[in-house]
This record gives sequence, C-alpha cells and structure tokens, in this order.
Amino acid sequence: MKPILQILLVLVLAAAANAKEIKLLNVSYDPTRELYQDYNAAFAKYWKAKTGDDVVVSQSHGGSGKQALSVINGLEADVVTLALAYDIDAIAQHGRLLPADWQKRLPNDSAPYTSTIVFLVRKGNPKRINDWDDVVKPGVVAVTPNPKTSGGARWAYLAAWAYALDKYGHDDGKARNFVKRLYKNVPVLDSGARGSTTTFVERGIGDVLLAWENEAHLAIREFGADKFEIVTPPLSILAEPSVAVVDKVAQKHGTAEVAKAYLEYLYSDEGQEIAAKNFYRPRNEKIAARYAANFSRLKLVTLEQEFGSWAKAQKTHFADGGTFDQIYQPE
Amino acid sequence: MKMKTTDMKLKQLMIVTLACLPAGFSALAADGTDTNSPGSSQVAPAPSVEAVEIEALKKEVQELSQKVQNLERQRELEQPAAPDTNQEQIQALDQQVRILERQRELDQENAAALAKTQPRLSLGANGFSLSSADTNFVVALHGVLQADSRTFQKNDNVPGNSSILLRRARPILSGTVFRDFDFLFIPDFGNGTPGAASAATTPSIYDAYVNYRYSPALQIQAGKFKTPIGLEQLQADVNTTFNERSLVTDLVPNRDLGFELHGDIAGGVVSYAAGIFNGVGDARNSSNIGFEDNREFDGRLFVLPFKRTELTALQNLGVGISGGWGEGSITNTLGLPASTGGASSSAGYFTDGQQQFFAYTNGVLADRVHWRLSPQAYYYYGPLSLMGEYVLSDQDVRNGSRSASLRNTAWEVTGGWVLTGEDATFNGVTPKHPFDPRTGQWGAVQVVGRYADLDIDNAAFPFFANPAVSASEAKAWSVGLNWYLNRNILVKASFSRTSFEGGGTSAASAPGSVTSHPEEVFFTRVQLGF
Repeated sequence: MKPILQILLVLVLAAAANAKEIKLLNVSYDPTRELYQDYNAAFAKYWKAKTGDDVVVSQSHGGSGKQALSVINGLEADVVTLALAYDIDAIAQHGRLLPADWQKRLPNDSAPYTSTIVFLVRKGNPKRINDWDDVVKPGVVAVTPNPKTSGGARWAYLAAWAYALDKYGHDDGKARNFVKRLYKNVPVLDSGARGSTTTFVERGIGDVLLAWENEAHLAIREFGADKFEIVTPPLSILAEPSVAVVDKVAQKHGTAEVAKAYLEYLYSDEGQEIAAKNFYRPRNEKIAARYAANFSRLKLVTLEQEFGSWAKAQKTHFADGGTFDQIYQPE
Repeated sequence: MKMKTTDMKLKQLMIVTLACLPAGFSALAADGTDTNSPGSSQVAPAPSVEAVEIEALKKEVQELSQKVQNLERQRELEQPAAPDTNQEQIQALDQQVRILERQRELDQENAAALAKTQPRLSLGANGFSLSSADTNFVVALHGVLQADSRTFQKNDNVPGNSSILLRRARPILSGTVFRDFDFLFIPDFGNGTPGAASAATTPSIYDAYVNYRYSPALQIQAGKFKTPIGLEQLQADVNTTFNERSLVTDLVPNRDLGFELHGDIAGGVVSYAAGIFNGVGDARNSSNIGFEDNREFDGRLFVLPFKRTELTALQNLGVGISGGWGEGSITNTLGLPASTGGASSSAGYFTDGQQQFFAYTNGVLADRVHWRLSPQAYYYYGPLSLMGEYVLSDQDVRNGSRSASLRNTAWEVTGGWVLTGEDATFNGVTPKHPFDPRTGQWGAVQVVGRYADLDIDNAAFPFFANPAVSASEAKAWSVGLNWYLNRNILVKASFSRTSFEGGGTSAASAPGSVTSHPEEVFFTRVQLGF
C-alpha cells in the first residue's frame, strides 16, 4: 500500500474513532411527526458531513400544551418545537429551563415556518361549509381538539373569534356568541390535533374538521382525495409554531451546540423545503413561491393584530375560568 | 300526520268543486242565451245578477282547480321526501353512536393517562408501599416479628434463659427520595437484643441510614448499619437458618456508625464494600453516638464467578473475604465484645442459647489495634444450601500494666435441604404451595444442621479472663426443622448442644454456671416477616 493511502486510511480510522453519537430529544406537537421524520434524516446527514458525528433525534408528540407541561415536569427535551410561543414561554416561566427572551435567538421570532387553520370536509361538502358562518349553523357537527391542551385548537378558536370580530365590527360580545355557537356544534374534544383527525377521518364523526393546513393535506394524502376535500375559508389566522433549545437540559446532556444547529438548520434552504413539502408555509420567499400552488390564498390575521399577545389571549380565553371555560358546556 | 291532513283538504276541495259545478253550468247556459242574442242592444246592458254570480263561480272554480293542482304537486313532493327523512334520522343516530363511542374511547385514554400520574399503592407479601407515578419517591413499610421459646435441659439461672420471648419486633421503614436516595430505618422493640444485656428491653435503633445510588455499582451510604464483615451476620434476620446465628458471629461487629462505599458490579457477579466506622467490639451494636477520635476501616469482596454463566449448578457459588482494621483507645467502652448473656458490665462471648461462656475480667480494656479477617463462602443449588465462614478477631487488650494481643478464632459450617423441593437461597425459601390445609397445601419444609467452634486465645488466661469460669473453647452442633408456611410466616424448631473446654467451676452466674456442663437447648420460633 502506498504511503499516501496508508496515511489516508489512518486519518479515516482516526476520524471514525473520534466520531460521537449524539442523541437529541425533540418534544413537539401533534401533527409534526412527518415533518420531523424527514427533517431529522436531513439534519443527521448534514451534521455528519459537517462534524463527522452521528445525531439520532428522538421525537415526542402530543398536544402542545400537554407537551410543554411534560417538559416542565421533567421530560428532558433538548429542543422543543411547539405549536405556539406561549407554550415555550410556559417552559421558560414555570420550568426555568431557558431564558424568557428565547424568541429573539432565531429569526422570525423563532418561528421558522407558519401555517393556518382550514376546513377539512367530506367529499362533495354535503353541508356546504365554505366559511366560518357555515360551521356555526345548527345541525353542523364540527371537530376540533381541546384548546386547553392543543395548540392547534387554540389557533382555531382564535381564528373563529377573529372572523367574528371582522364580521361584527369588532364587537366582542357578538364574537363571543359566535364562538359559543361554534363549540355548541363540537361534540368531542380530543387532547390534540392528531386525535381530532382520527375522530373525523377514521371514526367518521362530524361534517367539518377545523384542521391545521398541513394536517388537512396529510389526511387527504393518506386517506384519499375521493373521501375528503379541503375548504379554505376567506379569513383565518396566521399560526406561527415556535422552536427553542431547552438550555438547561441541553447543557446537562452536552448537546447545546448540536441542538442550536438543529434549529438553525430549519431556516436553511433544505429545512425550508422540507417544511414546504410537508405543507408548512416556509418563511423563505423563494421557496414559498416555488410551493405556492400548495397553499390557498386567504386573508390571514395575526395574533398580535387581533389579540395583542399570547399572554393576553391565554389569560382572556384559555386560562382556567377564561372565556372558553365560560362558553363551552360539555354535553 | 301531515300527509293525512293534506289528503283531507284535498277531499274537501273536490267535494266543494263537484257540488258547485252543476249550478255553475246551468247559470252559464241561461246567461249565454242572452249574451249571444243578435238583437242585443249596442249599449252594453248592465250585467245581470246571474252573470256576476257566474263570473264569481268561474273564478272560484279556477281558484279551486289551482288549489287542487298545488296540493297534488305538494303531495308529490312530499311523498318521495319520506325516505330522505328516515335516512337523515339514521345518519343522525349513527353520528350519535359514533360520538358516544369516541367519547368513551377518549375517557379510557384519559383514565389511562391519569393513572400514570397517580401515586401507586401496593400491599402484598412484600409489605406495604406507596410510590409516586414515576417511582422516584417510594415509602415502604415492612416488619419482623419473632416469638421464640428457649427450653434448656438445665436452667442456669441466666436472665433470658428458658423463656418465651419476643426476640425481635421491628417495624421497618424504607424508601427512596428523588430516585437515587434510599433510606432505611429499623428500630427494635424486642427483647434479648444482641450487644445489650439480655434483660434489656429498651427500644433501640438498629439501622438508620441514607444511601445514594449513582448506579448499582457505585453507591455510598451513611448512618448506622451492618459493617461489611462476616457472612452469616450479613444475612437478613428473617432468613437466618437457625434462631440464633452461630459462634462465628460472636467475633464480628454487629452494627456501627460510619460511611460506606459499596456496589454490585456486572449484575452482582462482584460485590464490594469499603467503609470507615467508629469501631465497635465483637458482636457489639453501636450506640447512636461516639466520642472516639480513632476509626476502624472495614471492607468486603464477594464474588459469584459463575452467576452469569450457563453452569446452573455453580451459579450460586459465592466466595469472599472480609476484614477490618482499627486503632482504638482504652477510653472506648465499646471496644470489648458484647455483654450478651452475662452480667451487664461483663464483656465476653455467648452460646447459641445466648448465655455467656467467656467473660473478660473486670478491669480489662480494649487497647490499640483490633483487626479481623473472615474468608467465607456459600453454595446454593436447588434444595441444597451450604454456608461456611471463618473469622479471626485479633484484639489488643490491657489490664492494668499488662497488655496482650488476643487472637480469637471461630468457624462454622451450615447445611440445609428443602424436603419439599423448593430452591434454597441466601434470602430464604419461597414455598411453591403456600400453606392452605383446605386445599391440601402445606408450604415448604427444610431440614438444617450446623457445626461451629470458637477458640479463645490461651493468652487470655489468667490475666484477662478467669480460667476457672470462662471456657477457652466452645463447640456447638445444631439440627433443626424450618417450616415455611408462606413467604411471610415461618415456624422453626431446633436443638443445639454446646460443649466447652475450660471453665467448668460451678458458679451462681454466667459464665461459670454455663460452662459447668454442656448447654442443651430446644428452640422454637414463630416468625412474621413482610
């Protein structure tokens, strides 16, 4: 064997001997399973090429609020990728596992992709549900998870509320009545978005599912366009799922560097493309343009416009004794 | 109901229509004659009353006809609608059923999730325990109760002799906090406490420690607990083969205060322990406080070399060695052996019957170095059990200006066979068929035998012990029957004979009264352990 080959072999063996296997736990919300399966594989490949280390990312999914509570109670997440910023705020506030200003650490307030709430209806749309007004009609059965535990459900609730504000000239009383009528049509509250998809798609309950846009597309992809169709209401809300490194856990595990890189890579072209392929709206405009056909155009209001902040919305609507508790009467 | 109403209206209209038609047509005929007359005036005459009536009737007929047509059309529309209504009702019911099923499904999921977060309560043969859902916090309550009898062939007027006694009455509180910190607390409310005078009845703390468990192989313990010397002594009180441990245990410490690093390596193939203690005399149970500046270092290594091999016959063969070294001072009042079976201030060694056969002379003190060495082994295979141990206890003593280093030694071999076929283990026997005479189940029965010898250094006589009353050697053999009714209840019966060399001068109290003749004692025990 030539000396140069021998040297190369030694270098390769030395690099292999030094390679580490790094384990990360990504605690996420319900409908991101498919997104992060694809993304984890891409990131592992990227990280291996960059550092020579193997990264194995485990995923945990559930209702966003429940997942945040699990992390606060000791689930050792290196990163969290939850449905809304408030749930990560809760981890910062109650678990003291990351700084309160975590949103400033990544672009777009640490929300690398967005989504919205659309309607998934049965093929042919037999109840002719085209707008929020149709969802609240008597006799319509709607399916949505529990806003107390599900981030998607909170976005759906606020989308309906925002629509009603728009319709009734920002009359909060009428908006409240509108949302009350909506939840009168909801007979089952699952704890997470995936559970509600099961209720609607597999259990055959309801006329309309208030769904994450990506979840609606995945349901059609999996169960067939001959069974369901997506209805995009003229107005909905801009949902901004957020991501953060859980500093104390990552430091304890010695994974802070790779956890940070893991989230940063979501903003890369490859990360954005994977998000778009999984029906999340990418932040990157070029990639968004390339996948524009996947996403219907509609008026998207923001949380800040209509509700001020997550803290305020949470306190008013979803905290114990809040508006949701007042208007929802389980049968 | 709606259909019936519609039909009735239709019928009424038809009747009215038919009733009106003849009158209408006759009036129409009369009127027509006048109207079509060629000689009629150019000025239109005023309509006659009949003509007006005819027009009204015509109009009425047209209206009725229209109504009939409308009703017929309505009925046509309503008739095919009936099956649709039924279909909708069926669909609505189907939805209700699905909703109820899903709600039940979610309720079950929620109940299962809730159960995972609830504390767990356990009550069974292993005692009572309460743990957090994640088992990071556990509190367990166990207990030992031993009701014994000792019947001596010859009563030697020794307290505790030939009596029925509560040998041990120990509630055991154990648990875990924050996953890795274990604790154990065992007080004793029984009588005949080793290390104390036989008449002592004061409750005392036997074990009280906290153990940090980094891993099974690396643990550190602090408090009061058994020192890592000996083998028989380290066996739990509920699992000893005979009522009382053998002569060999006279030479090892009972419990002491200290810190110990210990662990099991390779799944228990190797066990180690090393600790620093206050240091106590042979068979002594430490008090809860000590003022000595000196310390004792004890350690033990025990190996089960075949534990993880396919050689099942050798998997429970264990060999080990333990020992300790300590330097004390004459102020250490606990440096000499326990006073069990003798006068309260008389340190010495005692028989299976818990009678003192050797006593140091009053004024003898422990001095300087005390070291011990104990090779040991056990073997369990099926119903067979064998255990053997040798102990050397080298004690520096002083009596006035005289001092000596006394090397006392002891050894023992214990064997057993479970007649009912269960496996014998270091942790006792678990009956395959727990006692239940109603179903013809009688538990497990084990026969046991033991031989033990304790030899006192001849240098102890005459300056440190009185050769007239204290024996220089005790030899004991024992046989017994153990009846394991179930995992919690054990009944024992055994006989033990101890003969002595030296001593023998009859006296009113131990050790002279004990060594004057061989000790023959019949033991029984009813034990509850959970």
